[in-house]
Amino acid sequence: MAHQAHAYHMVDPSPWPLTGAIAALLMTSGLAIWFHFHSTTLMTLGLILLLLTMYQWWRDIIREGTFQGHHTPPVQKGLRYGMILFITSEVFFFLGFFWAFYHSSLAPTPELGGCWPPTGITPLDPFEVPLLNTAVLLASGVTVTWAHHSIMEGERKQAIQSLALTILLGLYFTALQAMEYYEAPFTIADGVYGSTFFVATGFHGLHVIIGSTFLAVCLLRQIQYHFTSEHHFGFEAAAWYWHFVDVVWLFLYVSIYWWGS
Amino acid sequence: MAAIGRLSQKLLKSVTLTQTRQLSAAVAAHGEQAAKTWKILSFVVALPGVAVCMLNMYLRAQQHQHEQPEFVPYSHLRIRSKRFPWGDGTKSLFHNPHVNALPDGYEHHE
Repeated sequence: MAHQAHAYHMVDPSPWPLTGAIAALLMTSGLAIWFHFHSTTLMTLGLILLLLTMYQWWRDIIREGTFQGHHTPPVQKGLRYGMILFITSEVFFFLGFFWAFYHSSLAPTPELGGCWPPTGITPLDPFEVPLLNTAVLLASGVTVTWAHHSIMEGERKQAIQSLALTILLGLYFTALQAMEYYEAPFTIADGVYGSTFFVATGFHGLHVIIGSTFLAVCLLRQIQYHFTSEHHFGFEAAAWYWHFVDVVWLFLYVSIYWWGS
Repeated sequence: MAAIGRLSQKLLKSVTLTQTRQLSAAVAAHGEQAAKTWKILSFVVALPGVAVCMLNMYLRAQQHQHEQPEFVPYSHLRIRSKRFPWGDGTKSLFHNPHVNALPDGYEHHE
Protein backbone atom coordinates (compact mmCIF):
# COMPACT_ATOMS: atom_id res chain seq x y z
CA MET A 1 0.00 0.00 0.00
CA ALA A 2 1.36 3.47 -0.93
CA HIS A 3 2.00 6.03 1.82
CA GLN A 4 2.80 9.72 1.54
CA ALA A 5 5.66 11.06 3.65
CA HIS A 6 4.07 14.52 4.02
CA ALA A 7 0.89 16.10 5.41
CA TYR A 8 -0.27 17.72 2.20
CA HIS A 9 -3.08 16.76 -0.16
CA MET A 10 -2.07 15.73 -3.68
CA VAL A 11 -5.50 15.92 -5.28
CA ASP A 12 -6.55 13.21 -7.77
CA PRO A 13 -7.21 14.32 -11.39
CA SER A 14 -10.67 15.83 -11.68
CA PRO A 15 -12.87 16.93 -14.61
CA TRP A 16 -14.69 19.63 -12.65
CA PRO A 17 -12.32 22.55 -13.29
CA LEU A 18 -12.75 21.92 -17.04
CA THR A 19 -16.55 21.63 -16.86
CA GLY A 20 -16.60 24.78 -14.72
CA ALA A 21 -14.59 26.70 -17.30
CA ILE A 22 -16.84 25.44 -20.10
CA ALA A 23 -19.88 26.47 -18.07
CA ALA A 24 -18.44 29.98 -17.65
CA LEU A 25 -17.86 30.23 -21.39
CA LEU A 26 -21.36 28.99 -22.23
CA MET A 27 -23.01 31.34 -19.72
CA THR A 28 -21.18 34.46 -20.89
CA SER A 29 -21.55 33.84 -24.60
CA GLY A 30 -25.09 32.61 -23.92
CA LEU A 31 -25.88 35.94 -22.26
CA ALA A 32 -24.67 37.79 -25.36
CA ILE A 33 -26.72 35.46 -27.61
CA TRP A 34 -29.80 36.11 -25.45
CA PHE A 35 -29.40 39.86 -25.63
CA HIS A 36 -28.89 39.98 -29.39
CA PHE A 37 -30.64 36.93 -30.82
CA HIS A 38 -33.36 36.19 -28.19
CA SER A 39 -32.40 32.53 -27.62
CA THR A 40 -31.79 31.30 -24.07
CA THR A 41 -30.54 27.81 -25.00
CA LEU A 42 -26.80 28.39 -24.66
CA MET A 43 -27.13 30.30 -21.41
CA THR A 44 -29.42 27.65 -19.89
CA LEU A 45 -26.97 24.93 -20.91
CA GLY A 46 -24.18 26.86 -19.23
CA LEU A 47 -26.25 27.29 -16.07
CA ILE A 48 -27.03 23.56 -15.85
CA LEU A 49 -23.37 22.70 -16.38
CA LEU A 50 -22.42 25.21 -13.66
CA LEU A 51 -24.83 23.67 -11.15
CA LEU A 52 -23.57 20.15 -11.95
CA THR A 53 -19.96 21.30 -11.59
CA MET A 54 -20.56 22.96 -8.23
CA TYR A 55 -22.46 19.99 -6.85
CA GLN A 56 -19.89 17.41 -7.90
CA TRP A 57 -16.76 19.42 -7.12
CA TRP A 58 -17.86 20.29 -3.59
CA ARG A 59 -19.21 16.77 -3.04
CA ASP A 60 -15.72 15.48 -3.91
CA ILE A 61 -14.10 17.93 -1.47
CA ILE A 62 -16.41 16.75 1.30
CA ARG A 63 -15.50 13.15 0.47
CA GLU A 64 -11.79 13.94 0.52
CA GLY A 65 -11.91 15.95 3.75
CA THR A 66 -14.62 14.46 5.94
CA PHE A 67 -14.51 10.83 4.85
CA GLN A 68 -10.94 10.24 3.62
CA GLY A 69 -9.07 12.42 6.13
CA HIS A 70 -7.04 14.41 3.63
CA HIS A 71 -7.69 17.74 5.42
CA THR A 72 -4.79 17.69 7.90
CA PRO A 73 -3.95 20.91 9.82
CA PRO A 74 -1.60 22.29 7.13
CA VAL A 75 -4.18 21.51 4.43
CA GLN A 76 -6.86 23.23 6.48
CA LYS A 77 -4.57 26.23 6.87
CA GLY A 78 -4.33 26.44 3.09
CA LEU A 79 -8.11 26.28 2.80
CA ARG A 80 -8.39 29.12 5.31
CA TYR A 81 -5.99 31.26 3.29
CA GLY A 82 -8.01 30.42 0.21
CA MET A 83 -11.32 31.50 1.69
CA ILE A 84 -9.83 34.71 3.08
CA LEU A 85 -8.30 35.57 -0.30
CA PHE A 86 -11.59 34.84 -2.05
CA ILE A 87 -13.57 37.05 0.30
CA THR A 88 -10.93 39.77 -0.18
CA SER A 89 -11.46 39.59 -3.94
CA GLU A 90 -15.20 39.96 -3.34
CA VAL A 91 -14.53 43.06 -1.25
CA PHE A 92 -12.76 44.59 -4.24
CA PHE A 93 -15.67 43.57 -6.46
CA PHE A 94 -18.09 45.57 -4.32
CA LEU A 95 -15.59 48.40 -3.93
CA GLY A 96 -16.00 49.02 -7.67
CA PHE A 97 -19.75 49.49 -7.38
CA PHE A 98 -19.38 51.79 -4.39
CA TRP A 99 -16.87 53.77 -6.45
CA ALA A 100 -19.43 54.08 -9.24
CA PHE A 101 -22.09 55.20 -6.76
CA TYR A 102 -19.95 57.87 -5.11
CA HIS A 103 -18.61 59.06 -8.48
CA SER A 104 -22.15 59.75 -9.68
CA SER A 105 -23.68 60.99 -6.44
CA LEU A 106 -20.99 63.30 -5.08
CA ALA A 107 -21.04 65.49 -8.22
CA PRO A 108 -24.49 65.05 -9.82
CA THR A 109 -24.50 66.25 -13.45
CA PRO A 110 -26.84 68.96 -14.83
CA GLU A 111 -28.74 66.25 -16.77
CA LEU A 112 -29.90 64.85 -13.41
CA GLY A 113 -30.92 68.28 -12.15
CA GLY A 114 -27.61 68.90 -10.37
CA CYS A 115 -28.86 67.13 -7.25
CA TRP A 116 -28.89 63.72 -5.58
CA PRO A 117 -31.26 61.94 -5.61
CA PRO A 118 -31.84 63.15 -9.20
CA THR A 119 -34.97 65.14 -10.06
CA GLY A 120 -37.99 62.90 -10.37
CA ILE A 121 -36.58 60.10 -8.20
CA THR A 122 -38.41 59.28 -4.96
CA PRO A 123 -35.92 57.23 -2.94
CA LEU A 124 -37.02 54.51 -0.51
CA ASP A 125 -37.47 55.56 3.12
CA PRO A 126 -34.34 54.26 4.88
CA PHE A 127 -36.26 53.81 8.13
CA GLU A 128 -38.82 51.36 6.75
CA VAL A 129 -37.90 48.08 5.05
CA PRO A 130 -34.16 48.90 4.73
CA LEU A 131 -33.93 49.34 8.52
CA LEU A 132 -35.75 46.07 9.08
CA ASN A 133 -33.34 44.40 6.65
CA THR A 134 -30.43 45.77 8.66
CA ALA A 135 -31.88 44.34 11.88
CA VAL A 136 -32.48 40.98 10.18
CA LEU A 137 -28.90 40.66 8.95
CA LEU A 138 -27.39 41.83 12.23
CA ALA A 139 -29.56 39.32 14.07
CA SER A 140 -28.41 36.57 11.72
CA GLY A 141 -24.82 37.49 12.58
CA VAL A 142 -25.62 36.87 16.24
CA THR A 143 -27.36 33.54 15.53
CA VAL A 144 -24.52 32.27 13.32
CA THR A 145 -22.09 33.03 16.16
CA TRP A 146 -24.38 31.08 18.50
CA ALA A 147 -24.21 28.24 15.96
CA HIS A 148 -20.41 28.32 15.87
CA HIS A 149 -20.04 28.11 19.63
CA SER A 150 -22.65 25.36 19.75
CA ILE A 151 -20.62 23.30 17.28
CA MET A 152 -17.41 23.93 19.23
CA GLU A 153 -19.08 22.84 22.47
CA GLY A 154 -20.63 19.73 20.95
CA GLU A 155 -24.16 21.05 21.44
CA ARG A 156 -25.74 19.25 18.50
CA LYS A 157 -29.35 20.31 18.94
CA GLN A 158 -28.50 23.96 19.59
CA ALA A 159 -26.20 24.01 16.57
CA ILE A 160 -29.02 22.78 14.36
CA GLN A 161 -31.52 25.26 15.82
CA SER A 162 -29.24 28.30 15.56
CA LEU A 163 -28.08 27.41 12.05
CA ALA A 164 -31.69 26.94 10.90
CA LEU A 165 -32.62 30.29 12.47
CA THR A 166 -29.77 31.98 10.65
CA ILE A 167 -30.93 30.57 7.33
CA LEU A 168 -34.52 31.63 8.02
CA LEU A 169 -33.35 35.18 8.69
CA GLY A 170 -31.42 35.10 5.43
CA LEU A 171 -34.51 33.96 3.54
CA TYR A 172 -36.58 36.65 5.28
CA PHE A 173 -34.08 39.29 4.07
CA THR A 174 -34.30 37.96 0.52
CA ALA A 175 -38.10 37.98 0.58
CA LEU A 176 -38.17 41.55 1.96
CA GLN A 177 -35.74 42.75 -0.71
CA ALA A 178 -37.72 41.09 -3.48
CA MET A 179 -40.83 42.88 -2.24
CA GLU A 180 -38.92 46.18 -2.07
CA TYR A 181 -37.72 45.68 -5.65
CA TYR A 182 -41.31 45.24 -6.80
CA GLU A 183 -42.68 48.17 -4.78
CA ALA A 184 -39.90 50.64 -5.70
CA PRO A 185 -41.13 53.67 -7.65
CA PHE A 186 -37.90 53.65 -9.69
CA THR A 187 -36.35 50.99 -11.93
CA ILE A 188 -32.87 50.03 -13.12
CA ALA A 189 -33.54 52.09 -16.26
CA ASP A 190 -33.96 55.32 -14.30
CA GLY A 191 -30.60 56.82 -15.12
CA VAL A 192 -27.49 56.46 -13.04
CA TYR A 193 -29.53 56.37 -9.80
CA GLY A 194 -31.33 53.24 -10.93
CA SER A 195 -28.17 51.66 -12.30
CA THR A 196 -26.07 52.17 -9.17
CA PHE A 197 -28.92 51.21 -6.84
CA PHE A 198 -29.97 47.97 -8.52
CA VAL A 199 -26.53 46.75 -9.55
CA ALA A 200 -25.04 47.27 -6.07
CA THR A 201 -28.02 45.96 -4.11
CA GLY A 202 -28.69 43.30 -6.73
CA PHE A 203 -25.23 41.77 -6.48
CA HIS A 204 -25.52 41.98 -2.72
CA GLY A 205 -28.84 40.12 -2.84
CA LEU A 206 -27.23 37.45 -5.01
CA HIS A 207 -24.51 37.07 -2.38
CA VAL A 208 -27.16 36.72 0.34
CA ILE A 209 -28.72 33.88 -1.66
CA ILE A 210 -25.29 32.27 -2.15
CA GLY A 211 -24.49 32.68 1.55
CA SER A 212 -27.83 31.24 2.62
CA THR A 213 -27.27 28.26 0.34
CA PHE A 214 -23.78 27.73 1.78
CA LEU A 215 -25.27 27.80 5.31
CA ALA A 216 -28.03 25.40 4.26
CA VAL A 217 -25.43 22.92 3.02
CA CYS A 218 -23.69 23.29 6.40
CA LEU A 219 -26.99 22.57 8.14
CA LEU A 220 -27.42 19.36 6.17
CA ARG A 221 -23.83 18.37 6.96
CA GLN A 222 -24.25 19.17 10.66
CA ILE A 223 -27.36 16.96 10.74
CA GLN A 224 -25.37 14.19 9.10
CA TYR A 225 -22.57 14.38 11.70
CA HIS A 226 -19.90 15.72 9.33
CA PHE A 227 -18.62 18.34 11.80
CA THR A 228 -16.63 17.71 14.97
CA SER A 229 -16.06 20.19 17.76
CA GLU A 230 -12.44 20.58 16.61
CA HIS A 231 -12.83 20.36 12.84
CA HIS A 232 -15.62 22.17 11.01
CA PHE A 233 -13.92 24.43 8.53
CA GLY A 234 -16.77 24.26 6.00
CA PHE A 235 -19.00 25.90 8.59
CA GLU A 236 -16.36 28.51 9.48
CA ALA A 237 -15.98 29.44 5.81
CA ALA A 238 -19.76 29.82 5.52
CA ALA A 239 -19.85 31.97 8.66
CA TRP A 240 -17.03 34.22 7.39
CA TYR A 241 -18.86 34.64 4.10
CA TRP A 242 -22.07 35.44 5.93
CA HIS A 243 -20.40 38.13 8.06
CA PHE A 244 -18.90 39.60 4.87
CA VAL A 245 -22.41 39.77 3.32
CA ASP A 246 -23.65 41.49 6.47
CA VAL A 247 -20.85 44.09 6.39
CA VAL A 248 -21.45 44.85 2.70
CA TRP A 249 -25.12 45.48 3.53
CA LEU A 250 -24.14 47.91 6.32
CA PHE A 251 -22.06 49.91 3.83
CA LEU A 252 -24.90 49.77 1.28
CA TYR A 253 -27.40 50.91 3.88
CA VAL A 254 -25.34 53.86 5.10
CA SER A 255 -24.18 54.96 1.61
CA ILE A 256 -27.03 54.32 -0.80
CA TYR A 257 -30.13 54.08 1.37
CA TRP A 258 -29.36 56.63 4.06
CA TRP A 259 -26.82 59.19 2.78
CA GLY A 260 -28.11 58.83 -0.77
CA SER A 261 -31.72 59.68 0.08
CA MET B 1 -25.95 75.36 31.68
CA ALA B 2 -25.60 73.09 34.68
CA ALA B 3 -28.27 70.82 33.18
CA ILE B 4 -26.13 70.23 30.08
CA GLY B 5 -23.21 69.27 32.30
CA ARG B 6 -25.37 66.81 34.25
CA LEU B 7 -26.82 65.33 31.02
CA SER B 8 -23.39 64.77 29.47
CA GLN B 9 -22.21 63.17 32.74
CA LYS B 10 -25.19 60.77 32.66
CA LEU B 11 -24.51 59.91 29.00
CA LEU B 12 -20.85 59.21 29.70
CA LYS B 13 -21.78 56.99 32.67
CA SER B 14 -24.31 54.98 30.64
CA VAL B 15 -21.79 54.58 27.77
CA THR B 16 -19.02 53.30 30.07
CA LEU B 17 -21.55 51.06 31.83
CA THR B 18 -22.60 49.59 28.46
CA GLN B 19 -18.96 49.15 27.47
CA THR B 20 -18.20 47.36 30.74
CA ARG B 21 -21.25 45.13 30.25
CA GLN B 22 -20.18 44.39 26.66
CA LEU B 23 -16.60 43.70 27.79
CA SER B 24 -17.73 41.20 30.43
CA ALA B 25 -20.07 39.59 27.90
CA ALA B 26 -17.12 39.20 25.51
CA VAL B 27 -15.05 37.65 28.28
CA ALA B 28 -17.86 35.24 29.12
CA ALA B 29 -18.20 34.40 25.43
CA HIS B 30 -14.60 33.31 25.37
CA GLY B 31 -15.09 30.53 27.88
CA GLU B 32 -17.07 27.30 27.75
CA GLN B 33 -20.35 29.15 28.36
CA ALA B 34 -20.08 30.96 25.02
CA ALA B 35 -22.91 29.15 23.25
CA LYS B 36 -25.24 30.03 26.10
CA THR B 37 -24.20 33.70 25.95
CA TRP B 38 -24.87 33.96 22.22
CA LYS B 39 -28.15 32.08 22.60
CA ILE B 40 -29.26 34.66 25.16
CA LEU B 41 -28.09 37.51 22.91
CA SER B 42 -30.06 35.99 20.04
CA PHE B 43 -33.37 35.79 21.90
CA VAL B 44 -33.06 38.89 24.10
CA VAL B 45 -31.38 41.40 21.76
CA ALA B 46 -31.24 40.25 18.15
CA LEU B 47 -34.72 38.85 17.56
CA PRO B 48 -36.54 41.51 19.63
CA GLY B 49 -34.61 44.11 17.57
CA VAL B 50 -36.06 42.55 14.44
CA ALA B 51 -39.52 42.54 16.03
CA VAL B 52 -39.25 46.24 16.92
CA CYS B 53 -38.33 47.08 13.33
CA MET B 54 -41.25 44.99 12.06
CA LEU B 55 -43.59 46.90 14.37
CA ASN B 56 -42.12 50.21 13.23
CA MET B 57 -42.77 49.22 9.64
CA TYR B 58 -46.34 48.17 10.30
CA LEU B 59 -47.12 51.49 12.02
CA ARG B 60 -45.45 53.59 9.31
CA ALA B 61 -47.19 51.67 6.53
CA GLN B 62 -50.56 52.44 8.10
CA GLN B 63 -49.76 56.17 8.10
CA HIS B 64 -49.20 56.46 4.37
CA GLN B 65 -51.00 54.29 1.82
CA HIS B 66 -49.36 54.00 -1.60
CA GLU B 67 -49.80 57.17 -3.64
CA GLN B 68 -48.83 57.01 -7.28
CA PRO B 69 -45.92 59.43 -7.93
CA GLU B 70 -46.74 62.18 -10.45
CA PHE B 71 -45.54 61.45 -14.01
CA VAL B 72 -43.15 63.98 -15.58
CA PRO B 73 -41.54 62.85 -18.89
CA TYR B 74 -37.95 63.59 -17.80
CA SER B 75 -35.38 62.59 -20.42
CA HIS B 76 -32.87 61.36 -17.81
CA LEU B 77 -35.30 58.73 -16.47
CA ARG B 78 -37.01 55.69 -17.96
CA ILE B 79 -34.13 55.21 -20.38
CA ARG B 80 -34.68 52.67 -23.18
CA SER B 81 -31.48 52.72 -25.26
CA LYS B 82 -31.99 49.00 -25.87
CA ARG B 83 -35.10 46.92 -25.29
CA PHE B 84 -35.12 44.50 -22.36
CA PRO B 85 -34.63 40.91 -23.65
CA TRP B 86 -38.01 39.75 -22.28
CA GLY B 87 -41.66 40.37 -23.06
CA ASP B 88 -42.21 43.43 -25.23
CA GLY B 89 -38.91 44.87 -24.04
CA THR B 90 -40.41 47.95 -22.39
CA LYS B 91 -40.80 46.73 -18.82
CA SER B 92 -38.03 46.23 -16.25
CA LEU B 93 -37.64 42.91 -14.44
CA PHE B 94 -39.57 43.97 -11.33
CA HIS B 95 -42.04 46.18 -13.19
CA ASN B 96 -44.95 47.35 -11.04
CA PRO B 97 -47.66 49.02 -13.16
CA HIS B 98 -48.91 50.97 -10.15
CA VAL B 99 -45.68 52.83 -9.39
CA ASN B 100 -43.45 52.32 -12.46
CA ALA B 101 -44.36 54.50 -15.41
CA LEU B 102 -43.27 53.59 -18.94
CA PRO B 103 -41.47 56.26 -21.00
CA ASP B 104 -44.86 57.58 -22.23
CA GLY B 105 -46.58 57.48 -18.87
CA TYR B 106 -48.41 55.05 -16.62
CA GLU B 107 -50.18 52.13 -18.26
CA HIS B 108 -53.96 52.53 -18.11
CA HIS B 109 -54.67 49.70 -15.67
CA GLU B 110 -56.41 51.63 -12.94
